[in-house]
Amino acid sequence: MNMLEIKQVTKKFGDFIAVDHMSLTVAEGEIFGFLGANGAGKSTTIHMIAGLLRPNAGEIKILGKDIAKHRQFAKRHIGIVPQEIAIYEHLTAYENVEFFAGLYGLRGAELRQRVEEALEFVGLSDKRKSYPKHFSGGMKRRLNIACALAHRPKLIIMDEPTVGIDPQSRNDILASVKKLNEMGCTIIYTSHYMEEVEEICTRIAIIDHGKIIAEGTKEQLEAMITDTKDIWLEIRGMDRLNKEKLQSIHGVKAVQCDDNMVKISSDISVNNLNEIVQCLIHDGVEIRSLEDKSPNLETVFLALTGRNLRD
Amino acid sequence: MESLLIIYKLIVWGYAAFDYLSSKQQTGAGFVLVSLIYFCLQLFALIVRHKKWKRGAAFGSVVLLVFAAVLVEPLWALLLPLNGYELTSLYIHRVWGIGGVLLTPMIWLRPSEAKLYGFVALFSLASVTAAKRHIERLEQQEDRLDQLRHDLYRLARRMSEYHQYMKQSEYTLQLEERNRLSQRIHDQIGHSLAGALIQMEAAKRLMDRDCDKAKQLLENAIHISKEGMEQIRMTLKQIKPPLEQIGLNRVKLFIEEFSAQHHLPVPLVCKGDLDVITPIQWKVIYENIAEALTNASKYAEATAIAVEIHVLNRVIKVEVKDNGKGAAKIKKGLGIIGMEERAASVHGTVIVDGTNGFSVTTLLPIHK
Repeated sequence: MNMLEIKQVTKKFGDFIAVDHMSLTVAEGEIFGFLGANGAGKSTTIHMIAGLLRPNAGEIKILGKDIAKHRQFAKRHIGIVPQEIAIYEHLTAYENVEFFAGLYGLRGAELRQRVEEALEFVGLSDKRKSYPKHFSGGMKRRLNIACALAHRPKLIIMDEPTVGIDPQSRNDILASVKKLNEMGCTIIYTSHYMEEVEEICTRIAIIDHGKIIAEGTKEQLEAMITDTKDIWLEIRGMDRLNKEKLQSIHGVKAVQCDDNMVKISSDISVNNLNEIVQCLIHDGVEIRSLEDKSPNLETVFLALTGRNLRD
Repeated sequence: MESLLIIYKLIVWGYAAFDYLSSKQQTGAGFVLVSLIYFCLQLFALIVRHKKWKRGAAFGSVVLLVFAAVLVEPLWALLLPLNGYELTSLYIHRVWGIGGVLLTPMIWLRPSEAKLYGFVALFSLASVTAAKRHIERLEQQEDRLDQLRHDLYRLARRMSEYHQYMKQSEYTLQLEERNRLSQRIHDQIGHSLAGALIQMEAAKRLMDRDCDKAKQLLENAIHISKEGMEQIRMTLKQIKPPLEQIGLNRVKLFIEEFSAQHHLPVPLVCKGDLDVITPIQWKVIYENIAEALTNASKYAEATAIAVEIHVLNRVIKVEVKDNGKGAAKIKKGLGIIGMEERAASVHGTVIVDGTNGFSVTTLLPIHK
């Protein structure tokens, strides 16, 4: 069954159309990424999925049930990590998680166990009695994630969870997202950092002006704009370069030489970098630098919209 | 609304009747008489359709109640606010005005009655006003729903018309093409085939009698057939023009005309393999470029507009971008909706961006 189904959802704020006839499905077990510039409609979409905003038109289903009709059901199965940190500074870490888990109706021994688990999961077990005002940005984020996890939702929505935190915490969060996914959670992850989305998401939707302009795996999205990748090499010993031999390597489409630069274009689906390098070394060519100009999500976004993700 | 007022009246009347009967020992003839006249008037107001009669009944009720309150029993005054509301709301539209009118009888009442009267008056005014607001809003919503339904119907019709048009034009194109093809076959290939056939028939007859002559005729036939073959090749070449020429030329022509008309530089850049664009996609591209350029000339106050057709691996990107004032808030008009619909008909999307100048990007998928 599909974890989430969005059909022709539209949200307007006055004349401004924040989400424009958006349709998408997220299958169970996916890490689904929403990639888009600020103001593209990511957060609005997420707020509608979480039931915080009502769409003007369209339908949102969680596990096959319309959230407008089954609000309790939807809420029980969704955990949301909002963009702004939402924790109480005057409660301890433990009390924070306990409070949020309590809102979902957990009580007694079960509540205590789930709170412990959630804190353990985000690595804050030893800080359970500390107050969040002494926490770093990353620790606050992790506590926020724990608050969203304690009721064991099947769908976890993370809205830009890595904004404004240090690289170490960021890596921790990304690792925990993967771990949650391995434990069977479906995850919707929004970001305008394409590296993160590239790293963890199994499927990605590129959103712009409230519309999904492209959707698929990273490879599918990249294949939308090109089927070749370029490798730029700066070499010494151009006279020893054997162009024909290079061209005969599987996947290589063209080899262009200029001064001491060589550009090798090859099929994006073939991984032949090793063979290329071996071929060059075998012929006694000295490689001084190598640059892989494969397309990435940033270039996909640029090619499709003419704008950068972060303007 | 009417039924709500009736229920209120019934409740208040019931209260008055109960209070009257439980507290007084004298005969209730006067009370019953007033009650009956009052009921008659209320029923009369319900039954008649004409506004004048309704107004008359409301006025009559108020007069009756005033007389009854003075002559028979002060409790009758409790019904005044409800009937008073019916009457005053015809002339005064502000709630405060109606309230003021309804509360004036308090001056003539004794303090203990005035208290009860004030309560009934304010309570009924508040609840009736709330109900009225609610009904008004309901009506508005229903109007809006109707409007939306109407829109939906209109759009569905337009969509089906568009489908029809698409099918029709495809069919017409096919017919034209078939016509031209059969004409060519008849004019050129048919003639040479017939020529060769005659020569060969003659050769067959001469074969036994005059071998040399027959050989010569066969030679002729071979020659004619060869020419025919060449003609077929030529014809096929001619009737299969490169696809992109039709589409691209049309776009180029439009842009040139537009540029000359508006004295604006409109550079057109094409990248990638334009051959993969199908005729129906060219139609969408052409119409969207035309629409976007027209919009830009109307609203943008731009000094340059750039058009780019870029064929990527799996998607065609068509961008029309001006350097004008742009728009922080984009309000979708029929133009943009039309572009979106056209793009959607070939599974594409349109992105409109007004942050840096104004740009309209049409993305169409390529099916390989």
